Amino acid sequence: MRYLLIAATLLLALAACETESLPPLVAADVIVTEPVPGHRMSAAYLSLSNNSRNAIRINRVSSPNFGAVELHESSVEDGVAKMRPVEELVIAPNSKVALQPGGLHLMLMRPNADIDEVSLNFYQDTTLLLSVDTKITRRSN
Amino acid sequence: MHLKQFLIALLLGSALAAGLFLAMKSGTPAEVRSATVLPGAGELPDFSLIDQHGEDFNANAFRGQWDLVFFGFTHCPDICPTTLQTLAEVRRALVESGDENVPRIVLVSVDPERDTPEILSRYVNYFGAGNIGVTGELEQLRQLTSGLGIYFEKVNIEDANYGVDHSAAVLVIDPDGKFVALFSAPHRVDDYLHDLPIITAKY
Repeated sequence: MRYLLIAATLLLALAACETESLPPLVAADVIVTEPVPGHRMSAAYLSLSNNSRNAIRINRVSSPNFGAVELHESSVEDGVAKMRPVEELVIAPNSKVALQPGGLHLMLMRPNADIDEVSLNFYQDTTLLLSVDTKITRRSN
Repeated sequence: MHLKQFLIALLLGSALAAGLFLAMKSGTPAEVRSATVLPGAGELPDFSLIDQHGEDFNANAFRGQWDLVFFGFTHCPDICPTTLQTLAEVRRALVESGDENVPRIVLVSVDPERDTPEILSRYVNYFGAGNIGVTGELEQLRQLTSGLGIYFEKVNIEDANYGVDHSAAVLVIDPDGKFVALFSAPHRVDDYLHDLPIITAKY
Protein backbone atom coordinates (compact mmCIF):
# COMPACT_ATOMS: atom_id res chain seq x y z
CA MET A 1 0.00 0.00 0.00
CA ARG A 2 2.85 2.36 0.95
CA TYR A 3 4.60 1.71 -2.39
CA LEU A 4 1.33 2.36 -4.18
CA LEU A 5 1.02 5.74 -2.46
CA ILE A 6 4.60 6.65 -3.33
CA ALA A 7 4.06 5.65 -6.96
CA ALA A 8 0.82 7.68 -7.14
CA THR A 9 2.55 10.72 -5.62
CA LEU A 10 5.39 10.43 -8.11
CA LEU A 11 2.95 10.15 -11.00
CA LEU A 12 1.04 13.21 -9.83
CA ALA A 13 4.27 15.16 -9.49
CA LEU A 14 5.28 14.10 -12.98
CA ALA A 15 1.91 15.14 -14.38
CA ALA A 16 2.24 18.51 -12.66
CA CYS A 17 5.70 19.00 -14.17
CA GLU A 18 4.33 18.16 -17.61
CA THR A 19 1.59 20.80 -17.30
CA GLU A 20 4.01 23.39 -15.97
CA SER A 21 6.46 22.81 -18.81
CA LEU A 22 3.92 23.39 -21.60
CA PRO A 23 4.21 26.80 -23.26
CA PRO A 24 1.11 28.95 -22.70
CA LEU A 25 0.09 29.06 -26.37
CA VAL A 26 0.64 26.08 -28.67
CA ALA A 27 -0.32 25.70 -32.33
CA ALA A 28 -1.10 22.37 -34.02
CA ASP A 29 -2.49 21.08 -37.33
CA VAL A 30 -1.23 24.12 -39.21
CA ILE A 31 -2.28 24.30 -42.86
CA VAL A 32 -1.57 27.21 -45.18
CA THR A 33 -3.24 26.66 -48.53
CA GLU A 34 -1.37 27.49 -51.69
CA PRO A 35 -2.63 30.70 -53.31
CA VAL A 36 -4.36 29.82 -56.60
CA PRO A 37 -1.88 30.84 -59.34
CA GLY A 38 -2.48 34.43 -60.32
CA HIS A 39 -4.55 35.09 -57.22
CA ARG A 40 -3.51 37.25 -54.34
CA MET A 41 -5.00 35.46 -51.39
CA SER A 42 -5.00 32.29 -49.42
CA ALA A 43 -6.10 30.93 -46.05
CA ALA A 44 -4.46 29.43 -42.98
CA TYR A 45 -6.03 26.92 -40.61
CA LEU A 46 -4.71 25.66 -37.28
CA SER A 47 -5.69 24.91 -33.72
CA LEU A 48 -4.48 27.09 -30.86
CA SER A 49 -4.29 25.70 -27.32
CA ASN A 50 -4.12 27.92 -24.28
CA ASN A 51 -2.31 25.94 -21.56
CA SER A 52 -2.22 28.82 -19.10
CA ARG A 53 -4.58 29.86 -16.33
CA ASN A 54 -5.38 33.15 -18.06
CA ALA A 55 -7.34 33.98 -21.19
CA ILE A 56 -5.15 34.68 -24.22
CA ARG A 57 -6.18 37.42 -26.62
CA ILE A 58 -4.93 37.55 -30.20
CA ASN A 59 -5.73 40.75 -32.04
CA ARG A 60 -2.99 40.88 -34.67
CA VAL A 61 -1.38 38.31 -36.93
CA SER A 62 1.40 39.05 -39.38
CA SER A 63 3.55 37.13 -41.82
CA PRO A 64 6.74 38.16 -43.62
CA ASN A 65 5.43 36.14 -46.59
CA PHE A 66 2.17 38.07 -47.06
CA GLY A 67 1.34 41.77 -47.35
CA ALA A 68 -1.52 41.46 -44.88
CA VAL A 69 -3.10 38.88 -42.59
CA GLU A 70 -6.61 39.19 -41.19
CA LEU A 71 -8.57 37.02 -38.82
CA HIS A 72 -11.91 36.14 -40.41
CA GLU A 73 -14.90 33.97 -39.74
CA SER A 74 -16.96 32.24 -42.43
CA SER A 75 -20.44 31.06 -41.70
CA VAL A 76 -23.50 29.85 -43.53
CA GLU A 77 -26.66 31.52 -42.27
CA ASP A 78 -30.00 30.57 -43.82
CA GLY A 79 -28.14 29.03 -46.73
CA VAL A 80 -26.03 32.15 -47.36
CA ALA A 81 -22.23 31.98 -47.10
CA LYS A 82 -20.75 34.99 -45.32
CA MET A 83 -17.28 36.05 -44.25
CA ARG A 84 -16.62 38.73 -41.67
CA PRO A 85 -13.48 40.12 -40.01
CA VAL A 86 -12.93 39.18 -36.36
CA GLU A 87 -11.29 41.88 -34.24
CA GLU A 88 -10.01 39.65 -31.49
CA LEU A 89 -9.67 35.94 -30.82
CA VAL A 90 -10.05 35.08 -27.15
CA ILE A 91 -8.90 31.64 -26.02
CA ALA A 92 -10.18 30.75 -22.56
CA PRO A 93 -7.78 29.24 -19.98
CA ASN A 94 -6.95 25.59 -20.62
CA SER A 95 -8.96 25.42 -23.81
CA LYS A 96 -8.47 25.12 -27.53
CA VAL A 97 -9.83 27.05 -30.51
CA ALA A 98 -9.86 25.49 -33.99
CA LEU A 99 -9.47 27.62 -37.09
CA GLN A 100 -10.88 25.43 -39.86
CA PRO A 101 -12.50 25.59 -43.32
CA GLY A 102 -15.95 27.14 -43.17
CA GLY A 103 -15.29 28.79 -39.79
CA LEU A 104 -12.58 30.89 -38.19
CA HIS A 105 -9.52 31.24 -40.41
CA LEU A 106 -6.67 33.55 -41.28
CA MET A 107 -7.07 35.33 -44.60
CA LEU A 108 -3.62 35.83 -46.13
CA MET A 109 -3.38 38.59 -48.73
CA ARG A 110 -0.78 39.73 -51.26
CA PRO A 111 1.65 36.78 -51.14
CA ASN A 112 5.33 37.22 -51.93
CA ALA A 113 6.39 35.55 -55.16
CA ASP A 114 7.13 31.81 -55.05
CA ILE A 115 6.47 31.16 -51.39
CA ASP A 116 7.13 27.68 -50.10
CA GLU A 117 7.52 28.19 -46.35
CA VAL A 118 5.36 30.52 -44.31
CA SER A 119 5.85 32.13 -40.90
CA LEU A 120 2.86 33.32 -38.92
CA ASN A 121 3.27 35.64 -35.92
CA PHE A 122 0.47 35.98 -33.38
CA TYR A 123 0.29 39.10 -31.22
CA GLN A 124 -1.69 40.69 -28.45
CA ASP A 125 -1.24 44.34 -29.41
CA THR A 126 2.56 44.59 -29.73
CA THR A 127 3.45 41.52 -27.67
CA LEU A 128 4.49 38.54 -29.75
CA LEU A 129 2.72 35.48 -28.33
CA LEU A 130 3.68 32.78 -30.80
CA SER A 131 5.52 32.21 -34.07
CA VAL A 132 4.66 29.29 -36.31
CA ASP A 133 6.59 28.08 -39.37
CA THR A 134 5.09 25.71 -41.90
CA LYS A 135 5.28 24.67 -45.52
CA ILE A 136 2.56 25.66 -47.98
CA THR A 137 -0.01 22.90 -48.60
CA ARG A 138 -0.38 22.31 -52.33
CA ARG A 139 -3.76 21.20 -53.56
CA SER A 140 -3.64 17.93 -55.48
CA ASN A 141 -6.01 18.25 -58.40
CA MET B 1 -16.89 -35.22 -43.09
CA HIS B 2 -18.05 -37.41 -46.00
CA LEU B 3 -17.71 -36.13 -49.52
CA LYS B 4 -21.50 -35.92 -49.92
CA GLN B 5 -21.88 -33.82 -46.76
CA PHE B 6 -19.01 -31.62 -47.88
CA LEU B 7 -20.61 -31.01 -51.29
CA ILE B 8 -23.96 -30.18 -49.70
CA ALA B 9 -22.25 -27.74 -47.31
CA LEU B 10 -20.37 -26.18 -50.24
CA LEU B 11 -23.60 -25.83 -52.23
CA LEU B 12 -25.45 -24.27 -49.31
CA GLY B 13 -22.54 -21.91 -48.63
CA SER B 14 -22.43 -20.80 -52.27
CA ALA B 15 -26.19 -20.26 -52.33
CA LEU B 16 -25.97 -18.18 -49.17
CA ALA B 17 -23.13 -16.08 -50.60
CA ALA B 18 -25.01 -15.55 -53.87
CA GLY B 19 -28.16 -14.59 -51.96
CA LEU B 20 -26.25 -12.12 -49.82
CA PHE B 21 -24.60 -10.62 -52.90
CA LEU B 22 -27.95 -10.17 -54.68
CA ALA B 23 -29.57 -8.76 -51.55
CA MET B 24 -26.77 -6.21 -51.19
CA LYS B 25 -26.96 -5.31 -54.86
CA SER B 26 -30.71 -4.84 -54.93
CA GLY B 27 -30.46 -3.12 -51.55
CA THR B 28 -28.74 -0.07 -53.07
CA PRO B 29 -30.33 2.82 -51.19
CA ALA B 30 -32.81 4.65 -53.36
CA GLU B 31 -33.24 7.63 -51.05
CA VAL B 32 -30.94 10.62 -51.04
CA ARG B 33 -29.56 11.57 -47.63
CA SER B 34 -28.32 15.10 -48.17
CA ALA B 35 -29.54 16.53 -51.46
CA THR B 36 -32.96 18.09 -51.96
CA VAL B 37 -34.56 16.62 -55.05
CA LEU B 38 -37.07 18.99 -56.58
CA PRO B 39 -40.57 17.55 -57.05
CA GLY B 40 -40.52 18.68 -60.69
CA ALA B 41 -37.56 19.63 -62.86
CA GLY B 42 -37.22 23.40 -63.07
CA GLU B 43 -36.64 25.28 -66.31
CA LEU B 44 -33.67 27.63 -66.29
CA PRO B 45 -34.40 31.30 -66.92
CA ASP B 46 -33.14 33.01 -70.07
CA PHE B 47 -29.76 34.58 -69.52
CA SER B 48 -26.71 35.49 -71.56
CA LEU B 49 -23.30 35.27 -69.89
CA ILE B 50 -19.80 34.24 -71.03
CA ASP B 51 -17.48 31.41 -70.04
CA GLN B 52 -13.79 31.59 -69.15
CA HIS B 53 -12.88 31.55 -72.85
CA GLY B 54 -15.12 34.54 -73.57
CA GLU B 55 -17.63 32.32 -75.41
CA ASP B 56 -21.39 32.77 -75.01
CA PHE B 57 -22.83 30.86 -72.09
CA ASN B 58 -26.61 30.61 -71.93
CA ALA B 59 -29.22 28.05 -70.83
CA ASN B 60 -28.34 25.81 -73.81
CA ALA B 61 -24.82 25.39 -72.42
CA PHE B 62 -26.30 23.25 -69.65
CA ARG B 63 -27.64 20.70 -72.15
CA GLY B 64 -25.82 17.49 -72.91
CA GLN B 65 -24.22 16.63 -69.56
CA TRP B 66 -24.79 16.71 -65.83
CA ASP B 67 -23.59 19.88 -64.12
CA LEU B 68 -22.86 20.86 -60.52
CA VAL B 69 -23.28 24.62 -60.35
CA PHE B 70 -21.78 26.72 -57.56
CA PHE B 71 -22.11 30.48 -57.16
CA GLY B 72 -18.97 32.06 -55.71
CA PHE B 73 -16.06 34.37 -56.46
CA THR B 74 -12.31 34.07 -56.82
CA HIS B 75 -11.42 36.59 -54.07
CA CYS B 76 -13.05 34.29 -51.52
CA PRO B 77 -10.27 32.53 -49.55
CA ASP B 78 -12.22 29.96 -47.57
CA ILE B 79 -15.69 28.73 -48.56
CA CYS B 80 -15.30 28.92 -52.37
CA PRO B 81 -11.98 27.06 -52.71
CA THR B 82 -13.09 24.55 -50.07
CA THR B 83 -16.33 23.87 -51.98
CA LEU B 84 -14.56 23.62 -55.34
CA GLN B 85 -12.01 21.27 -53.79
CA THR B 86 -14.86 19.08 -52.50
CA LEU B 87 -16.53 19.02 -55.92
CA ALA B 88 -13.19 18.20 -57.57
CA GLU B 89 -12.79 15.24 -55.19
CA VAL B 90 -16.32 14.09 -56.01
CA ARG B 91 -15.55 14.22 -59.74
CA ARG B 92 -12.27 12.35 -59.29
CA ALA B 93 -13.98 9.59 -57.28
CA LEU B 94 -16.76 9.24 -59.86
CA VAL B 95 -14.24 9.03 -62.72
CA GLU B 96 -12.25 6.39 -60.84
CA SER B 97 -15.39 4.34 -60.17
CA GLY B 98 -16.31 4.40 -63.86
CA ASP B 99 -19.52 6.36 -63.33
CA GLU B 100 -21.19 7.25 -66.64
CA ASN B 101 -22.67 10.49 -65.37
CA VAL B 102 -19.65 12.41 -64.10
CA PRO B 103 -20.86 16.02 -63.82
CA ARG B 104 -18.98 19.12 -64.90
CA ILE B 105 -18.18 21.70 -62.26
CA VAL B 106 -19.52 25.14 -63.14
CA LEU B 107 -18.53 28.17 -61.06
CA VAL B 108 -20.79 31.15 -61.74
CA SER B 109 -19.06 34.26 -60.43
CA VAL B 110 -21.12 36.54 -58.22
CA ASP B 111 -18.34 39.10 -58.55
CA PRO B 112 -18.25 39.82 -62.30
CA GLU B 113 -16.61 43.18 -61.57
CA ARG B 114 -13.33 41.50 -60.59
CA ASP B 115 -13.76 38.05 -62.13
CA THR B 116 -12.81 38.53 -65.75
CA PRO B 117 -12.73 35.48 -68.04
CA GLU B 118 -8.91 35.40 -67.75
CA ILE B 119 -8.99 35.39 -63.94
CA LEU B 120 -11.77 32.79 -63.88
CA SER B 121 -9.90 30.60 -66.35
CA ARG B 122 -6.83 30.22 -64.12
CA TYR B 123 -9.02 29.75 -61.09
CA VAL B 124 -11.33 27.00 -62.36
CA ASN B 125 -8.50 25.17 -64.15
CA TYR B 126 -6.63 25.00 -60.85
CA PHE B 127 -9.41 22.77 -59.52
CA GLY B 128 -9.35 20.44 -62.53
CA ALA B 129 -9.40 20.39 -66.30
CA GLY B 130 -12.84 20.66 -67.83
CA ASN B 131 -14.28 22.95 -65.18
CA ILE B 132 -16.30 25.93 -66.39
CA GLY B 133 -16.17 29.50 -65.10
CA VAL B 134 -19.04 31.86 -65.93
CA THR B 135 -19.12 35.62 -65.69
CA GLY B 136 -20.65 38.56 -67.56
CA GLU B 137 -22.94 41.52 -67.11
CA LEU B 138 -24.41 41.99 -63.64
CA GLU B 139 -27.92 42.39 -65.03
CA GLN B 140 -27.67 39.05 -66.88
CA LEU B 141 -26.22 37.40 -63.79
CA ARG B 142 -29.22 38.65 -61.77
CA GLN B 143 -31.47 37.21 -64.47
CA LEU B 144 -29.97 33.75 -63.82
CA THR B 145 -29.69 33.92 -60.04
CA SER B 146 -33.12 35.37 -59.35
CA GLY B 147 -34.65 32.68 -61.55
CA LEU B 148 -32.95 30.02 -59.45
CA GLY B 149 -33.50 31.57 -56.02
CA ILE B 150 -29.79 32.29 -55.60
CA TYR B 151 -28.88 35.28 -53.43
CA PHE B 152 -25.74 37.41 -53.58
CA GLU B 153 -24.83 40.82 -52.20
CA LYS B 154 -21.62 42.82 -51.95
CA VAL B 155 -20.49 43.60 -48.40
CA ASN B 156 -17.89 46.03 -47.02
CA ILE B 157 -18.06 47.80 -50.37
CA GLU B 158 -15.94 50.73 -49.14
CA ASP B 159 -13.04 48.28 -48.81
CA ALA B 160 -10.91 47.39 -51.88
CA ASN B 161 -11.05 43.80 -50.63
CA TYR B 162 -14.84 43.81 -50.49
CA GLY B 163 -16.62 40.50 -50.01
CA VAL B 164 -19.75 38.99 -51.49
CA ASP B 165 -22.31 37.11 -49.43
CA HIS B 166 -23.78 34.38 -51.59
CA SER B 167 -25.98 31.31 -51.47
CA ALA B 168 -23.86 28.33 -50.49
CA ALA B 169 -25.91 25.70 -52.35
CA VAL B 170 -24.66 23.59 -55.25
CA LEU B 171 -27.31 23.03 -57.93
CA VAL B 172 -27.64 19.86 -59.97
CA ILE B 173 -28.62 20.45 -63.60
CA ASP B 174 -29.61 17.45 -65.73
CA PRO B 175 -28.59 16.86 -69.39
CA ASP B 176 -31.84 18.51 -70.56
CA GLY B 177 -30.65 21.69 -68.88
CA LYS B 178 -33.19 21.39 -66.07
CA PHE B 179 -32.62 22.18 -62.41
CA VAL B 180 -33.42 18.89 -60.63
CA ALA B 181 -31.75 18.94 -57.20
CA LEU B 182 -29.52 20.91 -54.87
CA PHE B 183 -26.99 20.25 -52.16
CA SER B 184 -26.94 22.65 -49.21
CA ALA B 185 -23.82 23.47 -47.18
CA PRO B 186 -21.87 21.91 -45.57
CA HIS B 187 -20.71 20.03 -48.64
CA ARG B 188 -19.28 16.56 -48.00
CA VAL B 189 -17.75 14.28 -50.62
CA ASP B 190 -19.48 11.18 -49.17
CA ASP B 191 -22.91 12.81 -49.43
CA TYR B 192 -22.36 13.58 -53.12
CA LEU B 193 -21.06 10.07 -53.85
CA HIS B 194 -24.10 8.62 -52.10
CA ASP B 195 -26.74 10.90 -53.62
CA LEU B 196 -25.56 11.73 -57.15
CA PRO B 197 -25.97 8.18 -58.56
CA ILE B 198 -29.52 8.13 -57.16
CA ILE B 199 -30.31 11.50 -58.74
CA THR B 200 -28.78 10.63 -62.12
CA ALA B 201 -30.49 7.19 -62.15
CA LYS B 202 -33.88 8.90 -62.09
CA TYR B 203 -33.10 10.72 -65.35
